[in-house]
Order: sequence, then structure tokens, then C-alpha cells
Amino acid sequence: MTLTQYVRNGWYLGAWSDEIGRTLTQRWITDIPVCFYRLPDQTVTAVEDRCPHRKYPLSLGHLNDEGTLQCDYHGYRFDGQGVCVGVAEQADRPKAALRRFPLVERDGAIWIWPGDPDLADESLLPDTSWLTDPGWTHVHGVVPLKARHMLLLENLLDLTHETFLHPTTIGNAAVAATPIDVTVDGDRVSFSRHMIGIEAPPFYEKSCGLTSPVDRWQDGDFYPPGIFILNIRVAATGTEEPEGFHMKVLYGLTPARGNETHDFYALGRDYLIDDQELTKFQHEQQLAVMQEDVYALEAQEVMYATDPGGKAESSIKSDLAALRGRRAVAKMLAREQREQHEQSEQQGARIPRSRTASV
Amino acid sequence: MTSRSAAAPDTRPLGTAEAPVPTRRGAEFEGTATVRSRQTVADGVVSLELAPSTGDGEAEPLPLWQPGAHIDVVLPTGVTRQYSLCGPIDAAGHSTRWRIAVLREPHGRGGSQWIHDHVQEGDELRVRGPRNNFPLRPAARYLFVGGGIGITPLLPMIAEAEAAGAEWSLLYGGRTHGSMAFLPELAGYGERVSVRPQDQYGLLDLAGFLGDPDPSALVYCCGPAPLIDAVEAYCATWPSGSLNVERFAAAASAGPADGAAAEQPIEVELRASGMTLTVPPELSVLKAVEEAGVPVLSSCEEGICGSCETPVLDGEVDHRDSLLTEDERAANDTMLICVSRARGGRLVLDL
Ligand code: FES
Ligand code: FES
Ligand SMILES: [Fe+2]
Repeated sequence: MTLTQYVRNGWYLGAWSDEIGRTLTQRWITDIPVCFYRLPDQTVTAVEDRCPHRKYPLSLGHLNDEGTLQCDYHGYRFDGQGVCVGVAEQADRPKAALRRFPLVERDGAIWIWPGDPDLADESLLPDTSWLTDPGWTHVHGVVPLKARHMLLLENLLDLTHETFLHPTTIGNAAVAATPIDVTVDGDRVSFSRHMIGIEAPPFYEKSCGLTSPVDRWQDGDFYPPGIFILNIRVAATGTEEPEGFHMKVLYGLTPARGNETHDFYALGRDYLIDDQELTKFQHEQQLAVMQEDVYALEAQEVMYATDPGGKAESSIKSDLAALRGRRAVAKMLAREQREQHEQSEQQGARIPRSRTASV
Repeated sequence: MTSRSAAAPDTRPLGTAEAPVPTRRGAEFEGTATVRSRQTVADGVVSLELAPSTGDGEAEPLPLWQPGAHIDVVLPTGVTRQYSLCGPIDAAGHSTRWRIAVLREPHGRGGSQWIHDHVQEGDELRVRGPRNNFPLRPAARYLFVGGGIGITPLLPMIAEAEAAGAEWSLLYGGRTHGSMAFLPELAGYGERVSVRPQDQYGLLDLAGFLGDPDPSALVYCCGPAPLIDAVEAYCATWPSGSLNVERFAAAASAGPADGAAAEQPIEVELRASGMTLTVPPELSVLKAVEEAGVPVLSSCEEGICGSCETPVLDGEVDHRDSLLTEDERAANDTMLICVSRARGGRLVLDL
């Protein structure tokens, strides 16, 4: 568990659509400060939140009605493409441009690619259509987490912890007692756990009106480096789809800065979609469960941070999905570093030494 | 699979005194069945639910069966394997739900591996049966002893004993908790079921469970040969006919091709250290390397954690870990040396 560097060539959930408007919003993503805002035509933009002049945060600046972004330190102004269009002190336009990030806004989520823009491939995004499907309803938000991305990833890929960490809501003995099936398809890691004829955990009893025994399915897909989707089905034992209750949980595990992570979540369901009471109940439960995870992960983070060269961890069978998730991210990172290394070697050959020196 | 009961068999099943459903050979089915669902029910164990294949017209339902019955699965590879039926039992003590559970036997002759690797939901399987060599006879009290996958024939027996209002208890052993199938189904029976994974409890406490000979009780046991042997030894003083066992012959005896290779010492060259080691079958490559004084990381020593991962320069790996994916295995350029070995008897490692 030493991985604290971040994969940048991948999609991360940068923000929910309803978080971003005409105000400048700063959010750190993979150690990069990012400023999100919308242009007058409502398209969303994300630029590096460092002014090219003296690195003042642009998110402390202003956005005018034409969509011009002004740095509030010395007044550099940037158009919608991030190109500097002028500065108050002089008539000449300084040569400067902002680094802009590839974005995809879809189904109410804004996905950001913090790495090489040429590699940003929209087809790598998972299906999130249930977030806007009229047959579904959902709640969403983001929770700050002072723990590294990898700990959150392992938390999600090993739901055995539900039994111990969430015993009053979504966990019970059946979760830990039922083994999982883990598969790897390219970079993607999936697991599934089918619990048949088990006691209904309290959350499902309440939110589906079911009494024990129930059948419960957990099918999780991790799209490295930072997207996790859990498909949940709960049904009275013996019945099968379509009688089951369907829920989906999406997590955006977005590395922020240092060992901090944005824990984005969306919890959806396809039944009783107009029941506001139920929505409220489920949202409260979701946040309560996530809070239990946050406490645990932040406590765990301290232990990893203070034990850098420590003893190897012990692992058990149910860690398999998490270990495979770790390997998937580590492989992506290695690939990315190799590519960068090759690139810089090529460039190094072309650029004369004297020109590489700087202040 | 072979069964044996020392007593003259009373094949009349429980709860069916009026109209017993015969398990004659004539009632056997032979043909294809469709895999209606496939589920992993424990580490290395999948359960398959079989349904009649519809083909063109209306399908004939699969024949009824009673606890203890098994079917033959005829694989396209030509191998035939027996599996006990373990679907739910109705009030009359029989069932039309054909469910079997298959343990992946890495050292078996490939039948179970083929099922694990190839059989998916919706596939068709050639099947024959059911046949019952292990019927449940009426009794006031039952003592069930199951080891590992041997739990399968006992599951429907328990359901029937329960439905008949008999007194019963189950002692269920396995390697680890995770390797034991159907625990959720058994959980509902409460204290009648004792789940005793070996890594927590050691060997099964047969003396404590079976107690003194009880003429009103029948003992039913299924599992690996050493377990059955031990139960037989305990029941030697019981009234004859008390003990009924079913052995999974394939698991107990067969000396498989791959397993045979595994029993040979292998040669491991550590290229970076300039050494070649001979690793006997009882020693892991990891241990041999450590003993040779070459530093390597390790933690679980069970092929789970990945700490002992080592690059392979030459030789074909016999992967025995749980972590590597199929692609990673096929690449043959890395191995977990705590459990994996060589296929060709020789490996060259980057150590
Ligand atoms: S730092 Fe932005 S204008 Fe000077
Ligand atoms: S020591 Fe854990 S996989 Fe080898
Ligand atoms: Fe959790």
C-alpha cells in the first residue's frame, strides 16, 4: 500500500453539474489546482488554477458576462479558450495561455482528464444513463476525505467490511460469509457476491419494505483509476428479477491533494421514485454509512502515513478484488511513467542543453 | 461415487410412506439440460441449476429425485462425473429442481476444472439420472457429518429430516470458512448446525459429536476419504446399519497428470544470484529461496497478497495462486513463488 502517486491519464469525476455555474470554483485534482466555471453558452470549462503571470489562483479572480476570466492580482484577462487577451498595464498582449483540461459533461456529472489531452477518450467512461433515466431517481454529493485514494478504492472493492463497519445499516454476517467472484477484463476489475436466503440488513428492510429472508446481489465494477459502480438487487427469497429492487451506487474516487480524496457519490433506485420520504431516508443513510467509512479511512490513513517502510500487510481471500484493483492502478501508473520517460528522452535529444536551463 | 450401508436397505423415503416415488433406473433421464444459473457458493465451488432444455417444443420436466440422489454429467471432453443433487425439497420429500455443486479440483482429472472454466448460464450440458445410492431411511434422529463438498447430498436430507420433524444435527467441516459452501442456507437452522473450518477448529471432533452408540439414530456421512474412514472407525461399535456413507471416489483416489508432475522436485535457477536450487515437493519455491539466503518479500504465503511476486525469465509456470488474472498467468513472465511451481520441472527467476 505504498501507492500515493496518481494516475493522470484517466477520467475522474471533477464535479457534479449542479455545483458549477458562473462562480469560479477551485477543486484540487491529482495534485493540480483546477478552476471550474461556465461560459455564457453554459459550456463548462476547467483550467489550471494558477495564473501564468505569478501563479495567483484564478479562482480568486472574476468572470465577466462575456466569459472573460480576469486574474485579480495584476489583471491578466483570458478568453473562453484560456488565451490571454490583455492586461491593464500595457497595450501589448502578453503571450500566455491557460492549461485547459479535457472535460465531458454527461448525465449531470462533469468528468475531467487531468493527464495528456491527446489520450482523453470519451468511450472509456462507463454508462451513467441511470442518473438521468426517467425511470430512476437518485441523490448525489461529495464528501471530503483525508485519506489516500487507494484506501477508498480498497474500501469499495472489499465490501466484507460492511459486516463490521456498518452493522446497523447495510451489513450483516451474510456479507462476510459469502465469498465473491472476481474477474478482470482489461483494466477493469469486477466482483460479484450473491447472497441467497439471508437476513435482510436494516437499510434494505426499511427502504424496500422487505422482510427476511431475502436474496441480495452485489455486483461492483471498478473502472480504474477512479470510478466505481455498484449494482445492488434485493428481492424476497425465491423471486428473481424483475421483482427485485434495484439500486445503483456510483463513487467517483478523485485524488485531491497529498493524501486527500474527493469521495463523490450518487445513490439511485428504480422503484417508488416519487417517494420523497424514502429519498430523504436513503440519502441520510447513505451519508451516515459514508461517514462510518470516512472515520475508518482517516484513522487508517494515519497508520499508513506513519509506517512508510513498515511490515508487509496480511491478506485474506476476500481482499482479492481490492488487490486486483491495486494492481490495475499500479500498472496504469507504471505505463504512464514509462510513456512519460520515453517522451522526455525523445525531447531531450532535440532540445539543446542550454535552452533547458531556467530560473 | 460409491455408497454403502451395512443394513438391509429400506429405500422407502421419509414422508412418502403412501406413495413412494421410485428411483428406478427406468425413471432416468438422459439428454441435455440447460444451465439456468451459475453461482459461486464458496471458494472454488460453483453451483449450477439445471432446467429442461426446450429445444423446439415444450420441454418435459426433469424427473423428480429424492435426497441422496446424484446425476452423471457427461462432458464434451468425454469425461463423466457424478454430482449429488442438492436443490430444495418440497413437503412430499422430493424435488424437481436439479442443482449441483462443483468443487474445482486443481489436481483432479480436469472434469471439475472444465465445468468451472467453460460452463456458463444458458449453456447445455449432457446429463443422466437421477440415481440414488444413498437414500435417507426413516429414523427418529439423524447425525449428519459433511466434509467439504460432501455437504451436497446432506443438504436435501437435512431439509427432509426437518420436514419430517426428526431430531437431527450436522457437523460440517472444511478447510476454511470461505471454502465451505451453502453456509447461508444452513444458517437458518441455528444450533443444529456446527460449522467447523479446519483453520479455526482443527480436525472435526467426531467423538464429541457422535457420542455414544444410539440405536434410534442413523449417521449419514459424505466427504473426503480420510473423514469417512474416521467416522467408520468411530461407528464400529454402533448397531450395524447405523452408518451410511457416500464417497466421492474421483476426489479420493485419482492420481492426476498435473498432480503427479507436482509431486516431483523442481529445479529453480536464480539468475541474478547465480544459483540453482532443487526444490523438493514439500518445500515452496519461496522457502527454498529464503533458505538459500536470497532476500524476498512475503506475507500471506498462500498466493493471495502478491508480495512474493517474482519475474520469470524462463520455464513454464504452474500457477497455483489466487491473485493473478488469466492474462497475467498466460503471459508466464511473473509468478507468486509462495505457492506456484514449474510445469516442465525447471524455472529461471530474476532473483
Ligand atoms: S498573478 Fe495573475 S496577473 Fe499576476
Ligand atoms: S506471500 Fe502472499 S502471494 Fe506469496
Ligand atoms: Fe463502507
